[in-house]
Amino acid sequence: MAGIIIRRLGSALPILFIVSLITFAMIHLIPGDPAVVIAGLSATPEQVANIRHDLGLDQPLLTQLWRWYGGLLHGNLGRSILLGQPVVYATMLRLPVTLALSAYALVITLLIGLGSGIIAALRQNSWVDQVAMVFAMIGISLPNFYLGLLMIIFFAVQLRWLPTGGYVAFSDDPLGWLATSTMPAISLALLLAGLLARITRSTMLEVLRQDYIRTARAKGLPRRLVVVKHALTNALIPITTVVGIIVSLLISGSVVTETLFSIPGIGQLLTQAVLNRDYPMVQGGLLITTALLVLVNIGVDVCYALLDPRVRYDGA
Amino acid sequence: MLQRFILSTVCAAAGLAAMATSVSGETFKCPHVGGNFTFGQEANINSLDQMTSSTISTRNIAMNMFESLMTRDENFNPILELADSMAETPDHLTYTFRLRQGIRFHNGKEMTSADVVASFDRYAKIGLYRSTLDNVDRWEAPDKDTFVIHLKKVQPTFLEILSSFNAPIVIVPAEDKGDPPMQLKTIGTGPWQLVESVPGGYVKMKRYEGYKPNTNFDQRTGFGGYKQACFDTVTFRIVTEPQARVAGLKTGELQGVEDLPTRSLADLKSDKSITIIPLQNWWIQIAQPNVSVPPTDNLMFRKAVQAVLDMDEIMDAASDGNYRLNVGFQYPNQAFYSDAGKETYNIKNPDLAKKYLAQSGYQGEPVILLTDKDYPAMYNSALVMQQEMQAIGINAQLKVVDWPTSANMALKPDTGWNIFYTGWGTNTALGALSSMQLFVEPAAVYMPKGGQDDPELLAAWNEMNSLPTLQGRKEAFARMQKYVLEQVYSLPLGSLTKVQAVRSNVKGYVPYRIPRMSNVWFEN
Repeated sequence: MAGIIIRRLGSALPILFIVSLITFAMIHLIPGDPAVVIAGLSATPEQVANIRHDLGLDQPLLTQLWRWYGGLLHGNLGRSILLGQPVVYATMLRLPVTLALSAYALVITLLIGLGSGIIAALRQNSWVDQVAMVFAMIGISLPNFYLGLLMIIFFAVQLRWLPTGGYVAFSDDPLGWLATSTMPAISLALLLAGLLARITRSTMLEVLRQDYIRTARAKGLPRRLVVVKHALTNALIPITTVVGIIVSLLISGSVVTETLFSIPGIGQLLTQAVLNRDYPMVQGGLLITTALLVLVNIGVDVCYALLDPRVRYDGA
Repeated sequence: MLQRFILSTVCAAAGLAAMATSVSGETFKCPHVGGNFTFGQEANINSLDQMTSSTISTRNIAMNMFESLMTRDENFNPILELADSMAETPDHLTYTFRLRQGIRFHNGKEMTSADVVASFDRYAKIGLYRSTLDNVDRWEAPDKDTFVIHLKKVQPTFLEILSSFNAPIVIVPAEDKGDPPMQLKTIGTGPWQLVESVPGGYVKMKRYEGYKPNTNFDQRTGFGGYKQACFDTVTFRIVTEPQARVAGLKTGELQGVEDLPTRSLADLKSDKSITIIPLQNWWIQIAQPNVSVPPTDNLMFRKAVQAVLDMDEIMDAASDGNYRLNVGFQYPNQAFYSDAGKETYNIKNPDLAKKYLAQSGYQGEPVILLTDKDYPAMYNSALVMQQEMQAIGINAQLKVVDWPTSANMALKPDTGWNIFYTGWGTNTALGALSSMQLFVEPAAVYMPKGGQDDPELLAAWNEMNSLPTLQGRKEAFARMQKYVLEQVYSLPLGSLTKVQAVRSNVKGYVPYRIPRMSNVWFEN
């Protein structure tokens, strides 16, 4: 197991290098720069040039790249131009918010997605199956932005059950966190729960048709044991892949939800950074996010190894 | 020897405003003290460093906490804020400010002239508009209550520039002088002090108990005047989605919001618990021709564009109906306002436009309208202008990018654009000088060929800056505006209204360039 983790971590280094290079190139090659944003709507070219000089943006691109990698090798991702904070600090301030929201959304996704997918597979072609798949389709089709707005109108404005937005950290007030995170988590989760439900259903149907399942049933094993121990365990391998993707989507795709519900998470931070051409923030923030997603993928690989002995032996 | 004037005398001579006092003459007192006010702000804030940021979102919050020597009143005229009096020498080269007594920073330290010197030092080094101090020879603090500025040459408009709120020289503790750009500690002298700032989330302020109001006034006026913090705390929550701001206002989670979507107004107006407050003259919508490239280098072509425009149609689309037609580059309530050049505005005569077009020799080449979707007003006005121009045979094409890209492209004439869409808000509010500087090099937005100023325009600009009398400078402004419009160096389309709202139990809220949290209270 340790070998798998070490190998995966080793292969992550070139990925991070390539991502950092692409990020640097892309953010610098698109027109516009932070000086224009800082200077405001009707700034003069002289004022913009002054700011550009102050920020070192009038230096050749290669010089800026050299500085960026020089800092990186010393563990310094630079300082956000617009926030005035170190990139690592600004990112780490927001990351727990997004991770907490993603974790909450993941729990909802797994409960709804796995539950409805398994039930739909076990009751194939019944009304339960039809209803579950209709809801899955609605979840997939409904933009989470629209769903979020509908929930705000219904649960916050009409029923006054939940706040319209804002964020309370779990460590400050667990109930406050639950109140401010529930609607965002649901709006994030429903889309992915629909996806997971459909994949779980099809995977389960495939597994349920296997000979070893028929054998288990023929042996007279209880239905619950057959489903949980034999069918679900085998179906979990492809489902784990999808869950890995879902975790990545939750982390990287939270921007719309964070914007709608005024949640100061990493998605909003990076979007603002891109829109404002905050180069160090974009470069450093994306590098940290990429590293996180690489870790998620390593986690998925570890799960494979735990679920499937063949992977363990191959990787040993 | 200094010849002392009270500010009102100086201002009268300089063409600026006298100190404002309340109509009633009674000093403001909070009718109710207490409560926590939450305001839904539309845009994210970056830093709260008011010296190095000119973004509206920063100003909205920071200017409730910071103060400066001079600022602007309700009609954007210069007034004293942290200075008690100001004197100007007869040669107009030296300005002596006597500081108000007993002012303390939020950290409890008394403000002295050493802090003012340090603040000016920091601004001169890293302030966003530090070039405005280019004409200052030096500043000094002869004693702890006096601050003196020496100019290199006479500059009648110096006080107007000094009182600018675009990226103002706010006074901070001397020990913060070395704070890098965007990293200034939020320790000011204002009625509100910072509790916590979570970028992308919220900024929370509390009443500064050690605040000493400016007793030279009876009421709040503009950024200054007699200010009192009536709420216990004020939180600016960043709510970028308009419908979320509406929802927050309806539920009462937000007691005040800015930039309400027009589609929600009818619903909100029928809600007795909400008071809609339009902020007129938020900005002037501008279509900016590039006169360095064809066909917009041709005056007759530009006149053809000017002649076809229906400003009501354009502004209606740009603002969802919240606009006022406005000639030129100042708002009607401002000292320099003039309708000079009104004959060039809102002509909406396609026949005349076609005649000009024929005279221009236009051959159907593409005309690129450079706009963005970050500001819907800019995109929508470009869209309507495109249709109106196409109607007379102009091959108008939209180039839609994001705001940083379009603003960057518009800094140079050779980046593939003919007309650039922008909005002038703060510059217009700051006065005629601030607006018209955008028509002379190195800032000339109409991109004169070879970077050479139009001599007639430059002459009027120089007079605006140097004529000793207010009347003379006003006439120079009117002349300059008329000339700009006649030459179609710019197309001011109209004035946008920003719609704000508060809960009905919020009293004393008067819209301004920022949401002012002083002298505002809960009724119950």
